[in-house]
Amino acid sequence: MANNTDGIDPALLGLLQNEVKMSRTKSWSGIETAAYYGPDKRDVDYDTKLGNPGEYPYTRGAYPEMYRSRMWTLRNIVGYGAPEDTREGLLKTIAAGGNGINVVGDPPTTQGIDPDHPAIGPEVGLEGCSLPTMRDMERLLAGVDLAKIDTAWHWSTTAYALVAAVHSHRGQSLNTLQGSNMPDMLQETLSGWGQKVVPAAFGHRNAVDQIEFCTANSPKWALGIPQAYDLRERGLSPAGEIAVGMAIVIKTMEDLVVRGVSIDRAAAGIAWVSISDVDFFEEVAKFRALRRFWARTMKERFGATDTRALRLRIACHTSGRSLVYKQPLNNLTRTAIQSLAALCGGVQSLEACTYDEPVCVPTHEARDLAIRQQQILANEIGAARVADPLGGSWYIESLTDTVEAEAVAMLEKIEKIGVIEAVTNGYIEQIMDDYNLTVQRELDLNERIVVGVNQFVPENDPVPTRFRFDPTNTRIHLQRFSELKQQRDRTSWEAALRHLHDTARGGGNCTQASIDALIADVTVGELWGTLRVANGYAYDPYGAVEAPIRYNA
Amino acid sequence: MTVRCLLGMLGTDVHSKGIRTLAQVLRDAGIEVIYLGEHNSVAGMVRAVIDEDADIIGLSFSSAAYLEYIRQFVTAMRENGVGSVPLMIGGLIHPDDHLPLQEMGISGIFGPGSRMDAIIDFVRNKGGSLQ
Amino acid sequence: MNGIPPRAAAVLAGDHRMAGRLITIAEAGDTDIEPELGVLYRAGGSSRIIGITGPPGAGKSTFLDCLISRLRSLKRRIAVLAIDPSSPLSGGAVLGDRVRMQRHAEDRGIFIRSMAARGALGGLAHAAGDAVTILDAMAFDDIIIETVGVGQSETDILGLADIVILMQTAHGGDGIQSVKAGILEIADIIVVNKADTVGTDRMIRTLQEMVAHRIQTAAGWDTPVLPTEATNGAGIDAVLDAIDAFYRCRGANREATMQRDRRRMRARILTLAQAALRHRINILTEPSLLAAIDAVISRVMEPREALKLLVFPANS
Repeated sequence: MANNTDGIDPALLGLLQNEVKMSRTKSWSGIETAAYYGPDKRDVDYDTKLGNPGEYPYTRGAYPEMYRSRMWTLRNIVGYGAPEDTREGLLKTIAAGGNGINVVGDPPTTQGIDPDHPAIGPEVGLEGCSLPTMRDMERLLAGVDLAKIDTAWHWSTTAYALVAAVHSHRGQSLNTLQGSNMPDMLQETLSGWGQKVVPAAFGHRNAVDQIEFCTANSPKWALGIPQAYDLRERGLSPAGEIAVGMAIVIKTMEDLVVRGVSIDRAAAGIAWVSISDVDFFEEVAKFRALRRFWARTMKERFGATDTRALRLRIACHTSGRSLVYKQPLNNLTRTAIQSLAALCGGVQSLEACTYDEPVCVPTHEARDLAIRQQQILANEIGAARVADPLGGSWYIESLTDTVEAEAVAMLEKIEKIGVIEAVTNGYIEQIMDDYNLTVQRELDLNERIVVGVNQFVPENDPVPTRFRFDPTNTRIHLQRFSELKQQRDRTSWEAALRHLHDTARGGGNCTQASIDALIADVTVGELWGTLRVANGYAYDPYGAVEAPIRYNA
Repeated sequence: MTVRCLLGMLGTDVHSKGIRTLAQVLRDAGIEVIYLGEHNSVAGMVRAVIDEDADIIGLSFSSAAYLEYIRQFVTAMRENGVGSVPLMIGGLIHPDDHLPLQEMGISGIFGPGSRMDAIIDFVRNKGGSLQ
Repeated sequence: MNGIPPRAAAVLAGDHRMAGRLITIAEAGDTDIEPELGVLYRAGGSSRIIGITGPPGAGKSTFLDCLISRLRSLKRRIAVLAIDPSSPLSGGAVLGDRVRMQRHAEDRGIFIRSMAARGALGGLAHAAGDAVTILDAMAFDDIIIETVGVGQSETDILGLADIVILMQTAHGGDGIQSVKAGILEIADIIVVNKADTVGTDRMIRTLQEMVAHRIQTAAGWDTPVLPTEATNGAGIDAVLDAIDAFYRCRGANREATMQRDRRRMRARILTLAQAALRHRINILTEPSLLAAIDAVISRVMEPREALKLLVFPANS
């Protein structure tokens, strides 16, 4: 975070000020605590399976002091309508205490579809911010120095290219660019996007391109992979999260190593995007097993030696799927415990769902409560005081081992098929569908009780508020988009598009060409469609739009 | 008579785990599910209703764009002579929209908190029609 | 159009909706449409009827999706009958082939119908034959029947298709053991999909050897074994060429073709007989059926006696 606040939009100063702080290391009653607790005598088991926090295999935590040296980042997500709309929501969040900008793009943007696509008009700006061009990204980030302020983007490859394009266009060097996004496209194929929107091999290649590029050019840009939050929500157990996530990571690392990136560099820039589901103990066990699995894999399989490669950082978002529609205030209980699990599990960043998540687009009041919840956890509950507070519990250690063992078995089966094939041929999809069917059956038979769903169901439904935003800005945005397409410099636009196509055809890394294309006013839909064509797919996955040029002409 | 139920989603929506699970639950209840998955266009889905002679259609939505899509879909169904096929909607449907949806001819609305057995009964009875 | 039942007339005029409706009625075993089927059958005979079968996971739907694209680019009008197994426990089914052909969803030159096997032994729905009759009368250039190769007799497809394409892959490491003897004997074209899989070359060679040693499915026809990668369309053109060549061969060998068609029709009529019998028993009211079954269990009756009583009652 910056010390120098000159030249920054005053409304954004809030970003730099309201961190979640550690206010005391004493317990509430005044007992002083240590950074962590362990056995009086360390035995071989402890050394090989656990280690102290910050020690290989990092089961007990990535850092020795954990939250004493650095609290988790408090983030909240914004994103709706046109760039101007999101900017407004963004500023309100900062005023409430969030210190990281976290933006979600609307489905067309995240799928690489332009807002003027004939079939998806009703969806523009509804679930996130419409950001189809570099200029729109510039509008959103006006006054935000990307070298000083950490921006997190909740989608995959085009997010980095758009932000990098803005940064470059401002004359700044990419190696000063701060922020993060989630270049995991295999997860998208699995989580409902399907082969139609993200063909597995194509998506994966793109993800590896971005990671290779960032590792070399934007070392301060964090890469969230795997995006295991969506994988879990789609339908996986904690062991499944580790197995499928590691399958994706291993394949990605192998591809990067083939391209000449050292494993130490590649793995160091990665953070695992995880989830905290509703079983407190199972999730704590999962985070621990995950770190151990990661460390051992990096060391034994890839020969990594750098601490930063061996020690996994975890970003966590509490589960939306676990929240219940009826009597939504109960979700405050759920999210608080899930957040506590994440902290006992040692995550580096935490986003909690709002209690009204299943009911409506989060109200500002609900957002406030979500932030206060974390501040209560930090200051009153003592959640951050001690690293791995549940370490040494017989239950937790047993669960940790069991989750790990299940993950090992699942991963073996996936690797036998090959992860790309397992994604393409429906093997992993079937695991997920089976998981969901089991859960549904158990709910129907009352073998699994969820309060407000199959037991203790209140008579009355909640009254959802409606998130209404003025569509005026979106209309202007669409108009402006259309005008841009008319008025942009056609020569440089076309040259950029051809160069992108040719780079992709030639098997090269497409990230720089993507950035250059966006600077030349190529739209996100044109960018993605061109890459698709170069890889042998139809320009538009929805089959309604033709390519804007003939690439082989 | 075996009921043939078409299940699918329109637009960019990726949240299909609900209809995937529903497809299997309906199968286990003896229904033949014609599963169309994600990313269908209105025109494409209407063609499916015609060729498949569906007894009942289920559309699932997790985005707030559903009113507009449903309007387009109902219009297209009528224009293509299949306006009488019962239609049920599931997903994140806001209570304020129940009335406009019913006025459009939607006979089954299964918003958040709906029970599987209610949906199964609805489908088995083809939305309560006398077919 | 004197004397033609209006529903048949609608189908002959190309009404997809009516065709869909009639297929549903046929599936229900409703004899109400026999007059229509009579008219439509007589009007048909111009479509190529192509059967595609093979184990689950072979990529049939993806292959079919490619095939349709190619055929459509040649301006051919296509009908697809995608048949999936019914759950033996519940009788329901998830029919998920159509979803893989989504890019053709708006193409009016295509008709796609999903069907559940509904307990048919070979995995082929009883009403499939009627569906073919209905679609054939609409002058589609190609009617493609896709079935999953499960159960004892995939050979049911012989009763319907002019040409049988078997799809396999080298996946699963089972190799040749996974290819069931029965289906190999009737395959006119064998496609080895996912040709980029390790073991494909070996599988192709083994299959070539096996077909060389068995009886030809058609006079003058050597069953080719063709590699494809349906995900990118590689090898599809060779399959199309083989299909065309097969039909030329049919045309050039009239007598042999006639023999084969006779075998096909015989199989079709036997299938209809089975269906009729099954229908006859199914429409019996519960009590009489139960009474007969109980009588057999308590050995008051031998099973065949019960059958005669149920199906050919003395006073019918």
